[in-house]
Amino acid sequence: MSVNKFKILQDDLNKYVNIPVEMTWDFTGRDQAIEEYENTILNDVIGQPKDFEVIRFSHKPTLNAFTDINYEFNFYNNVLPITSPLVSPVNWGSTYLNTGFNVQDIYYYTNPFTKSFFKLDFYDTPNEPTQKNYFTVIIPVQQGLSQTALLSTFVPPVDIRIPTFKLDFVGDKEGFFIYWLRKRNYIDINTFYMSAKFFDARTGVFVRMTNRVQPLLVPSKFTFNNADYFYYKVTLDYPSFTYKVNDVLSNIEVGSAGQPIKWYEYVNP
Amino acid sequence: MSSDSTRIILGRERFKGSIDVDSFVNLSVDQNTKLLTEYDRSVDLNLENLFDEERQNSTIFRPATKYTILFSNALTGTTNYVPYRDNLYYTNELQNTISAFPGGNVTAVPPFPPVNTPWEGHPQYFEFDFIRTDNDVPGYTQPPNPHVLFKNVSASTYNWTHCLSYPFENDYKKQLNLYSGDTQVFWNWQASLGIPFVIKIGSNQNLRIISFECPLAHGLNVSEYVELYNSLGQPLNYNGNNIFQVTSLGDAGYGSENYIFNISNIGFVGATFNSSVLGFFKRIININNIKETRSEYYIRRHKIITDPSCTVLTNSGFEQNIFDASPKFQIYALTPQQQFKSTIKEDSQSYNLTFNCDIDVSLYRDNQKRPLTQLFFTTLWRGYFGWTQRLRQGWDFNIPLRTNAQPQPWWDNANLNNISTVPFASYNSNGVGPFIYNNFLFSGDTIDGDYCEWNNYDQTERVISIYTHKIKFNQNWFQVISNSLPPTNTYGYFYSPHSPIQIRQFSSYVEEGSASIVADIPDWAYFSKLSNSFRWRDIYSYGIVDEDGLGVDYPFLNGKHYPYVNTIFRITPENFNIPSPYQQGAVGPNITTIEDPTIDECE
Repeated sequence: MSVNKFKILQDDLNKYVNIPVEMTWDFTGRDQAIEEYENTILNDVIGQPKDFEVIRFSHKPTLNAFTDINYEFNFYNNVLPITSPLVSPVNWGSTYLNTGFNVQDIYYYTNPFTKSFFKLDFYDTPNEPTQKNYFTVIIPVQQGLSQTALLSTFVPPVDIRIPTFKLDFVGDKEGFFIYWLRKRNYIDINTFYMSAKFFDARTGVFVRMTNRVQPLLVPSKFTFNNADYFYYKVTLDYPSFTYKVNDVLSNIEVGSAGQPIKWYEYVNP
Repeated sequence: MSSDSTRIILGRERFKGSIDVDSFVNLSVDQNTKLLTEYDRSVDLNLENLFDEERQNSTIFRPATKYTILFSNALTGTTNYVPYRDNLYYTNELQNTISAFPGGNVTAVPPFPPVNTPWEGHPQYFEFDFIRTDNDVPGYTQPPNPHVLFKNVSASTYNWTHCLSYPFENDYKKQLNLYSGDTQVFWNWQASLGIPFVIKIGSNQNLRIISFECPLAHGLNVSEYVELYNSLGQPLNYNGNNIFQVTSLGDAGYGSENYIFNISNIGFVGATFNSSVLGFFKRIININNIKETRSEYYIRRHKIITDPSCTVLTNSGFEQNIFDASPKFQIYALTPQQQFKSTIKEDSQSYNLTFNCDIDVSLYRDNQKRPLTQLFFTTLWRGYFGWTQRLRQGWDFNIPLRTNAQPQPWWDNANLNNISTVPFASYNSNGVGPFIYNNFLFSGDTIDGDYCEWNNYDQTERVISIYTHKIKFNQNWFQVISNSLPPTNTYGYFYSPHSPIQIRQFSSYVEEGSASIVADIPDWAYFSKLSNSFRWRDIYSYGIVDEDGLGVDYPFLNGKHYPYVNTIFRITPENFNIPSPYQQGAVGPNITTIEDPTIDECE
């Protein structure tokens, strides 16, 4: 042990004892910065949680605040071969009777009828080689307006369904709403191209539909630009949670009662 | 600078026989940096941990509820306003037909009826449903001459409107009044004054206790204290003291311990504690710490955080409720229009309520300035079809009737304190009016809430009485049949606007600690000057549910919380509700009461 003698006198001056303490310094926050970087790397490796929640879009109201959207599906009556030059728009009509169902099938809701449905596919582009189908809306045949028909000559006429739909918040609702992503940071698409098919459960085949009656397709009823005639344009409006439907060729807004969305059965030659 | 002289000398020089010893100078070395960690960092990627970390950090909620409506369409009335008259669920159609067709309806020719006399009946269920479906009624919702031209987009907002709210502040000055049908007394007080009471067993009865009966659950425990005030809001002093210890609760009645408290009668003289004395009390937990353990009483106020456009109300698919619809086929000869029709008196539907917008709760603090642990589905009567007046508000304690089956004075139109903050508007239809309806509330609007008690020491908020709205019919258009009640205070329907959903949970225990020794004391902690420490309740992590069942464990996906709750929404007709044990005196003429159980809690 070594002891030293110190004498410190009061002289009104501060005294200091210098003691060397050797340290390795770290800038404050560097460690936290590394942790932040660690989180960034983890996010790169694992990824952030993505939001796949959907919200409901309804049909854009008219100026009178009517919100109904109207579809009219027309089927070819097969009275003439489709290749016949005499085929005209009057050969298409909005009735299931043209598809081969009879009044009994429709009135009594037989299985082949009730298992049939309309399928609306929504694509990102009308360009078929590159398009992706993002979602689908089904319209069942149990909905729709009705027409009068005869079950037999011995009973009074009855009302049967027709493929003309008036969809709204109240009443027939199936197919009225479009459900699409709530957040737009994963897929940012708000314009879709809608095509229509009818699944005929009686024959088990899908029937494709065009937006113009087949004899009016340009340049011919079998040769035409698919992007022009197989689609309607559907635009989602996020601020108001509504959608509107426009004709692809004319860009006229359709879907109101006075201007329904018309679909016509496309018949292959 | 202090300059005291210090001499340091060798030990052996200090006195004879002393020896040398080491001397030390203690130097504190404060350091606010730390050593740089120099090694390779590796992190285990654990899906469960990662999920939990994201869950605990997320503050965004997507609340949802399923409403089940319980509705008794009990009130009947009369009207001769044609669109209403033609769409009633008739209750006295034979007499009404005789009056409307004085020459008989067999030979009558249109227009029907020849005499427009009032018809009696119930408004149909459509008038109260969350989503109206009567969009195709000629003369009412469709031409000719519709009362309201029905817009399907508004089907879910014609009758009711829904939004989310949270309690954001306290209103201590709200003026309340209460008529107790049981005790036949009337209190009028400011919310902060506490809970009303009437002395049932007074000192004049010379028993061992003074017994206080409250029309509201008192929330007291034995050995706690009450600070008494008289009916004028001044201290109810006895020898300069107005704080007394609660010695027992209840009397012989079932459930009375929640409404009756007793103090010892130590020989009080005078009229201070005589029977029938009215007053109010505040709860005090600790007599030695009155200031900090005294409860506060207030009306909780809510702020709306969603706009009507955010609300999505849909029918619950496949939901089968226990109460069926009550339709009636009306024979054409007994209707004013001489037409067959089917009318519906009651139904019991279920609806799903969700929101298009996300709720970030980190933006809000509750009425005690704590993080939000509850959101409220706020449902408001809109009544766009004009059958009713503007909304009246009150609390559950205003619901029981007076002994003569009259509504409490609180509900009279002349009482300005019962006017809700929901704005109203009006319109004319078919050249007549006005038809009154209540407007929407938007994000940022405020509305009253429950009557509550808060205790800083407990760190607990207790709901004393639930906020209630009363729907009253507009007597100009639909006159309620109600035994000579004044037209300004008729029967109506009650409902509770705020339905809570728990999104987080405060702990069942109270933490206490000093800032010098406890880290991470939350900013909402209460500082007790007496103990010189902070007091607070922790918030449980998501997914933690304690042994008492407290806690929340909702689904977490898409980086958001998805809390869900089932809500029973009651639309209760006045004079037809079942009274509580302490409202038996208010039993109306048509009430069937539930008998007391033959086996009580003790057995």
